[in-house]
Amino acid sequence: MGPDGAPSVLNGTVDTIAVVVLLAEFAMLRSTLLRSQIRLYAAQSFVVAVLAAVLAFADNSYELLILAALSIGLKVIAVPVVMSRTVRRAGADVAGAGSLRAASSALIALVAAGFGFFAVGRLGLQAHGLSPTVLAVAGAIIMVAFVLMTVRTDVVSQSVGFFSLENGVSVASLVVAAGMPLILEVAFLFDLLVAVVVFGVLIRVHHAEQGSLSTSDITALRG
Amino acid sequence: MAALLIIIVIVPLVAGCLAFVVPTRLARLITFVSGLSCLALAVALGVGVHVGPVTFGFLRADALSWVFLVATAFVYATAVTYAIGYQSPASATSYQHRLFAGLNIFGWAMLCAPLVNGLALLWVAIEVTTVVSALLVAVDRTPRASEAAWKYVIIASAGLGIALFATILVYQAGTQVFGESYDLTLTQMIGAGSHLPVAPIRLAFLLAVLGFGTKVGLVPVHTWLPDAHTEAPTPVSAMLSGSLLAVSAYAVLRYVQICRPVLGAEFTGAVLMIFGVISLLVAAFSIMLQRDLKRLLAYSSIEHMGIVCLGISFGTPLALAGVLLHVLAHAAAKGNAFYGAGVVMHAYGTKDIDRIHGGLDVLPWTAPLFVCTIFALCGMPPFGMVRSEFMIIAGSVGSTTRIVAIVVLLGSTVAFLGLARVVTRTMFLTASVAGAVDAPSPRRGEPSAWMVAPMLAGLAVLVVLGLHPPAALTDLLSQAAGELM
Amino acid sequence: MGLEIAASGVQALQVATVALGAPWVSGVIARVEAVVQGRHGPRILQPYYDLIKLFGKESLRPAGAGAIFLIAPFVAFACYLTVPLLIPILTTFGLPLGSMGDILGGAFVLALAAFFVSVAAAETGAPYAQLGASRTTTFSALTEPVLLFVIFTVGLLSGTDLPYKMAETVTSSASQLVRPAHLLASVAMFLVVLVETGRIPVESHRSTNELGMIEHARTLEHSGPYLALLTWGSQMKQMILYALLLNVFVLPWGLASDRAAGSVVWAIVSLLLKCVAVGVVVTAIDNSFSKLRLFKITEFIAAAFLLAVIAVLTLYLGGG
Repeated sequence: MGPDGAPSVLNGTVDTIAVVVLLAEFAMLRSTLLRSQIRLYAAQSFVVAVLAAVLAFADNSYELLILAALSIGLKVIAVPVVMSRTVRRAGADVAGAGSLRAASSALIALVAAGFGFFAVGRLGLQAHGLSPTVLAVAGAIIMVAFVLMTVRTDVVSQSVGFFSLENGVSVASLVVAAGMPLILEVAFLFDLLVAVVVFGVLIRVHHAEQGSLSTSDITALRG
Repeated sequence: MAALLIIIVIVPLVAGCLAFVVPTRLARLITFVSGLSCLALAVALGVGVHVGPVTFGFLRADALSWVFLVATAFVYATAVTYAIGYQSPASATSYQHRLFAGLNIFGWAMLCAPLVNGLALLWVAIEVTTVVSALLVAVDRTPRASEAAWKYVIIASAGLGIALFATILVYQAGTQVFGESYDLTLTQMIGAGSHLPVAPIRLAFLLAVLGFGTKVGLVPVHTWLPDAHTEAPTPVSAMLSGSLLAVSAYAVLRYVQICRPVLGAEFTGAVLMIFGVISLLVAAFSIMLQRDLKRLLAYSSIEHMGIVCLGISFGTPLALAGVLLHVLAHAAAKGNAFYGAGVVMHAYGTKDIDRIHGGLDVLPWTAPLFVCTIFALCGMPPFGMVRSEFMIIAGSVGSTTRIVAIVVLLGSTVAFLGLARVVTRTMFLTASVAGAVDAPSPRRGEPSAWMVAPMLAGLAVLVVLGLHPPAALTDLLSQAAGELM
Repeated sequence: MGLEIAASGVQALQVATVALGAPWVSGVIARVEAVVQGRHGPRILQPYYDLIKLFGKESLRPAGAGAIFLIAPFVAFACYLTVPLLIPILTTFGLPLGSMGDILGGAFVLALAAFFVSVAAAETGAPYAQLGASRTTTFSALTEPVLLFVIFTVGLLSGTDLPYKMAETVTSSASQLVRPAHLLASVAMFLVVLVETGRIPVESHRSTNELGMIEHARTLEHSGPYLALLTWGSQMKQMILYALLLNVFVLPWGLASDRAAGSVVWAIVSLLLKCVAVGVVVTAIDNSFSKLRLFKITEFIAAAFLLAVIAVLTLYLGGG
């Protein structure tokens, strides 16, 4: 790979933005305060919207711009507001360390990211003249989101993990399925909104019944 | 015909929204009417589907979706009937509103899923079923229910996240055939046949089986299932076991239908076979260990879904027709089983198998029906499941896997042992014979006729399916199996 | 101007620029920091006066400290004079002695200098010096993988591990700038520079807070000319690392592409200005963040490692 092997400016930009989303995912894994996790999710969603905008300008497609605007409205504003309100009502601040220490979970996340990266990247799927790297990064994001959902033992972190999983899938869909009709993308977004509302209700129920936001005590159902 | 589609899609949603606001007696009536009318419409749709797929806008019904539609509608109808007896009019208004509205909306989402014409819309429908059912699992507001609901919603949503990724990959594969922007409709994707590129389809298939398989209850992503099905109120458990698992299996079937021409029958068969075998064996052995009546039935659902997966993996027309018949029979039988268990629990006040004795003496209608249903689940003649399991196993003769058929038989036998043990202890043995000293001994008598009627209907369906399924039905089943090939 | 300087002359100028310019860079950074904090601050040429003063003072040696205590400052200084021969300081083309070592060799020589200073500190038997020595060695060991991955990235991006080629690659086109591998490696390198030069958030240079000192504690026992050499050496190390970061990763413009006197002079000036710019950024970080607790530094390094690993990963599928 010599100096001639550089990807185009668009490709490099898109890859960089995808990597920033991945870094936000790692940061979410590392952060302990629930407030900062929600803010990181908002930041990550904003970066995904930026990615949509970049691709919109590259393709001259106004549909992607509408999608970017809707994502900002929903994922950067609405979802964090709903989650923050839930957290505030529950009165908890710190997320707890999760089932593994920070160093071990970071290593596992790195291995998972590598696995996701190569497993998806090997397919060599391309679209728009972009290299397969972005899809591979999306695969890495999804795997790290899984690690986040698995390792954390409180309901808010697990929900934020699920929402960031959806962010990873959005990155993938922006790259390989950018032509998907707007109505389907909007359906996905509203579905996410419904899911967020339901998650909020269930978190409140969980807090009311268990008295805390932790899931490490719910061991009543076994076998 | 298209009108039937539209009505089926609208009625439960309207019923659900109304049930939130109107007085509870009216809500019960609306729910009951909605359930029965959807069942009637679903059965009537079979006439139109026999000719060819019925489409309208983004709705589409072919023989395959009709099977799952009828199964869902049957469970919906019986569940709402049961719920009217289950929920006494005297309990809290808000709880009744939530329960009945929830049942309707849950039924609506499950009825929509087989009817939508598009993989993306299918995913959206199944995601809606997930969130609505999670709310229903938690409707009782006990600590155990909230734990079960949270586990369910997290694991199922994670699985659906993977399934969404699979949908995106299928879309990407389709862009090679249809161009950058197209609608991802089922008609398109089925029509694409083997033109789709292999690499993305392979990964998409694996992810779809894993993702939707989470909702079907395949091991190892089944851990939410026993908890959710146990802690939910009984009509909800019946809908979860009887129809939601089936609708998720429908999603897997659509992916098999789209991916099989591209990947070949061996690959898709092998993947499904691994999941099916593991699910079957784990569930069968877990049945032996259960102490909780509803949890037992939940593991039995996993076992049957394992058999369904194995049937799909065999891939012969006979096995596929057996799978579809199994879906119908399982819907009736599992619904019945949960209703019976619900009545037993209501009468005895406990779910613990060790504390329930002499059921036949206490419940003159429910107990015999429950016994028959459990034996139906084990695959005893003359009920429908023996026919479907026979078709599945016979369908394996054509393919290479004789040992898998032996595994199916082994698993079913182990499950039979577990279920028969439970049935004997709870229904046949009286407390004195069983040696239990402080077991509850309730008064003899049925709690409510509303709770018995669905069981009668279910058993009737099972007997019909087992002895002599109507010719129209078998025609539609073979038609659906043919579409899958 | 048509005057051309001989290649060996340019090379000597490289070493001289680093040796003579490093205290100036430190002075400017200290002044900027003071101004930002609202103080007047020391003279910009203060480091020179400090060095001259130190060369004139007597030196003491702890009882029991052996020869290494005395020769370590010389070895370190010699190393810091050698490294500018290997990395692009002033020019974009290789100079005669430049192929003595590649970027890996340069890293090795820097590590050698740190090793000798740490051993000298350990020899003294004084508690704080030993504390500093052991901490420095530990953290250097942790930053090695990061540095290696950054070097791998450089190697994969430019096809060779000669640092000169990398500068050429980066300046060749705009597409090279937005490569995620390049950006990530730059950030990782910057974080490593923060660790190696002992700035916030790793170490506080403003006070002698012994319990928090890592690198600066090693020189507590030296005095006189030895201390002068060590101080000068650490200032040169700072400038070398800044030059490495700038000329290989971030701002490789302004280097001389031929041996004309005018372009060489301009290269010297631009290097000094660029180092000051990096210093300003470091000062901004200084004033915005607080020092990390000691055990959190490993997380800081782990973050840098993560960036470096992802930089290498993104190169693998052609999109980096």
